[in-house]
Amino acid sequence: MVFEQEQEEVAPGAVHGHRLSTVVPSSVTGEVDYALADADLAFKLHYLRGVYYYPPGDVARGLATKVLKDPMFPWLDDYFPVAGRVRRAEQEAAGGEGDAGAPRRPYIKCNDCGVRIVEAKCDRDMDEWLRDDAPDRLRQLCYDKVLGPELFFSPLLYVQITIFKCGGLALGFSWAHLIGDVPSAVTCFNKWAQILSGKKPEDTVLTPLNKPVQGQSPEGVTAPRSVKQVGPIEDHWLVSAGRDMACYSFHVSDEVLKKLQQQQKGRHDAAAGTFELVSALAWQTVAKIRGGDVDTVTVVRTGAAARSGKSLANEMTVGYVASAGSSPAKTDVAELAALLAKNVVDETAAVAAFQGDVLVYGGANLTLVDMEQVDVYALEIKGLRPVHVEYGMDGVGEEGAVLVQPDADGRGRLVTVVLPRDEIDSLRAALGTALQVA
Amino acid sequence: MPTGGVFSGSVNLKYVKLGYQYLVNHFLTLLLVPVMAATALELARLGPGELLSLWRSLELDLVHILCSAFLVVFVGTVYVMSRPRPVYLVDYACYKPPASCRVPFATFMEHTRLISDDDKSVRFQTRILERSGLGEDTYLPPANHYIPPNPSMEASRAEAQLVIFSAIDDLVRRTGLKPKDIDILVVNCSLFSPTPSLSAMIINKYKLRSNIRSFNLSGMGCSAGLISIDLARDMLQVHPNSNALVVSTEIITPNFYQGSRRDMLLPNCLFRMGAAAILLSNRRREARRAKYRLVHVVRTHKGADDRAYRCVYQEEDDQGFSGISLSKELMAIAGDALKSNITTIGPLVLPMSEQLLFFFRLVGRKLINKTWKPYIPDFKLAFEHFCIHAGGRAVIDELQKNLQLSSRHVEASRMTLHRFGNTSSSSLWYELAYIEAKGRMRRGDRVWQIGFGSGFKCNSAVWKCLRSIKTPTNGPWDDCIHRYPVDVPEVVKL
Repeated sequence: MVFEQEQEEVAPGAVHGHRLSTVVPSSVTGEVDYALADADLAFKLHYLRGVYYYPPGDVARGLATKVLKDPMFPWLDDYFPVAGRVRRAEQEAAGGEGDAGAPRRPYIKCNDCGVRIVEAKCDRDMDEWLRDDAPDRLRQLCYDKVLGPELFFSPLLYVQITIFKCGGLALGFSWAHLIGDVPSAVTCFNKWAQILSGKKPEDTVLTPLNKPVQGQSPEGVTAPRSVKQVGPIEDHWLVSAGRDMACYSFHVSDEVLKKLQQQQKGRHDAAAGTFELVSALAWQTVAKIRGGDVDTVTVVRTGAAARSGKSLANEMTVGYVASAGSSPAKTDVAELAALLAKNVVDETAAVAAFQGDVLVYGGANLTLVDMEQVDVYALEIKGLRPVHVEYGMDGVGEEGAVLVQPDADGRGRLVTVVLPRDEIDSLRAALGTALQVA
Repeated sequence: MPTGGVFSGSVNLKYVKLGYQYLVNHFLTLLLVPVMAATALELARLGPGELLSLWRSLELDLVHILCSAFLVVFVGTVYVMSRPRPVYLVDYACYKPPASCRVPFATFMEHTRLISDDDKSVRFQTRILERSGLGEDTYLPPANHYIPPNPSMEASRAEAQLVIFSAIDDLVRRTGLKPKDIDILVVNCSLFSPTPSLSAMIINKYKLRSNIRSFNLSGMGCSAGLISIDLARDMLQVHPNSNALVVSTEIITPNFYQGSRRDMLLPNCLFRMGAAAILLSNRRREARRAKYRLVHVVRTHKGADDRAYRCVYQEEDDQGFSGISLSKELMAIAGDALKSNITTIGPLVLPMSEQLLFFFRLVGRKLINKTWKPYIPDFKLAFEHFCIHAGGRAVIDELQKNLQLSSRHVEASRMTLHRFGNTSSSSLWYELAYIEAKGRMRRGDRVWQIGFGSGFKCNSAVWKCLRSIKTPTNGPWDDCIHRYPVDVPEVVKL
């Protein structure tokens, strides 16, 4: 049958029927401004993309859009900066530092503009979708937008609700890294789920207010080794990599983990944890498919001790590790893991203090991101736990990124790599043998 | 000192005015008192013996007495029967939308920007919103939160059910009204008129009686609320011992204008979600708990004038989008309609002192000097409270100027515009709720509700308060009345 009125050409199995709406805080915030810290601005070119898959059944069927939206209103009362929009500070008076052409410092105007909600459908079953393991399926389930070109009207958070044919539900969050790092984002989403389930979440801490760091590094200094300087960025906060980047997730089962751990037994410096082992494996594989030339990696970690307790902050540590001499493609995983455990050069403060625009993930080097301590599976909706969660990133540079997060049962690991699309197939092939238990 | 002289002069004038008002308004009393005193003195002087002989000289016998008594009883009965039945407002309920329908300025502007390609109309709407007098807390129905809005019939019905049923449920809670006790149902909603009608929708939901007298008024604009009250009152004159339920609302969902004609973009910016349900009754026993009694309803229709007829006009623009165009002459026409309405209502409500002044000035204009300005009667002497339809800041400003009201008198209207936006025919009830929530409504207070609407119509209703209203009132203002009044800036910077 041919439907004359069909609006869009729907590729079979694609996500379609997008409907956009907005959710705002339930009470007037007042015209306050949320100042952005230097660390926040360092991450402004990156966007977190997280998808949570919920199984079909009675509970999922009862999750009408209204049920999901209603708790967001009080949730945004607590997280009102997330409902704001980016503005640039007023021009400094004549006699201020810097020439008139220098970009003014961005901040968040908490004007209750809101968070964008996207409703979509997919004509495939969720199981089939997950089994397919298609690269970049994340992009279909998280609304693919960034800040700009009109900063005034760009939401900091998109939530996409996709219903599969079988009744399963996927929740896709597109979060601007500017407003908070991975633990901040995940805690924020978990709080929404708590309100939905009728629990009262912990208070949101938004004080002390952010202030620009005093000891700014002077102009003309080169960027720290962990990051790559780009720009200057005007109002479109995305640096398009020369090549098409895609996200791909694969599972590292606990048997494989045990095998990796065994490999490092007998070494006198066996101090590597699961993150080091898994990301070392990824490092080695990427080095192999690129034929060497991945000598340095940037490491971004969630150090629980380093967190100040603020609900919205960019407090992940950024550093780099250089492989000593030998090519990582030929080095043992255990050896690389040991390097990652011991030889990280911390550059967090330097990155925050650096004045120019930088790409942290995938900018200067392949970036390994530690999400192990982030409780992603805690996003339970009315008692329904997600069957699968994957986190990727947008705005990643050509060098690529590797995100390591816990898997559904907590024993294995789920790794999402963000790489140029043409490297994904080679990676799959190269991993094939490494992920076998035998 | 000259200022001292002027000051004492104005004080003297004030006392002169007060004296004049007292004299004229209590003229009959002032006349009657000396007459009664003289009669009493005369009677006392005559003495009982003389009075008795006066009585005997009339030579009245039983027939005369019976006929006189019969005459008196007959006249008295005719008088009592021909008086209009009093119409009591037992109680009313205003719908308070949930926080999930809230529309801050920034969100409205962002949606406008995303939906429309036309830069000019986006800027125009920003300017309108900045000067509108609305606050950050007004409400739009769920369908309007989508980009672009989703004006389907199903969504419109859903909004109608949400606002109307919530208002009626609230009214039932407040009054204990039973569905089988509703004898008359009047619903007014100007721009959404499905089949079966909204009144049928209410009858279906609440299982009302099969012999109910229901009416559904559509297309009558923002003043239709008072037209419904008028219709209910007329019905209550014909049917004794009855209850009338009046529901006033405006359904926003189907009326989002998608084009770019400036005169049609105003309703998008100003109209917001709201509804009110009112219980009127002519039953004697309701008089004890009723809040108000309806004193007058005055309706003025200027439709015979072409300019007035076309000033609020629904039509399609060049691209085929349907919208309501508001002409630039709207304020002038509203002023005219108001003057007509005042001319009719003035004699009904104004004290004699004001009417005489108006009459003499009118005579003077006709006979002595045509350039004299017409006397604007001081309506503050006739009413304690004013509810002016919150059609927009311009309407309230215009009426404040025309009627020479202070800012306290128009506070209810301005604050309703700020908190709820222009909710069309139900705005008068939100304003009344504001006055009650502020604890200003006392027994004996008179309220003047003025509504304007397409046509062009100006309708007035006068209510008298029967009992002092205590706070808190469990109305739509309860959670925020402590913040009001707020100072609404001329221009809000977006």
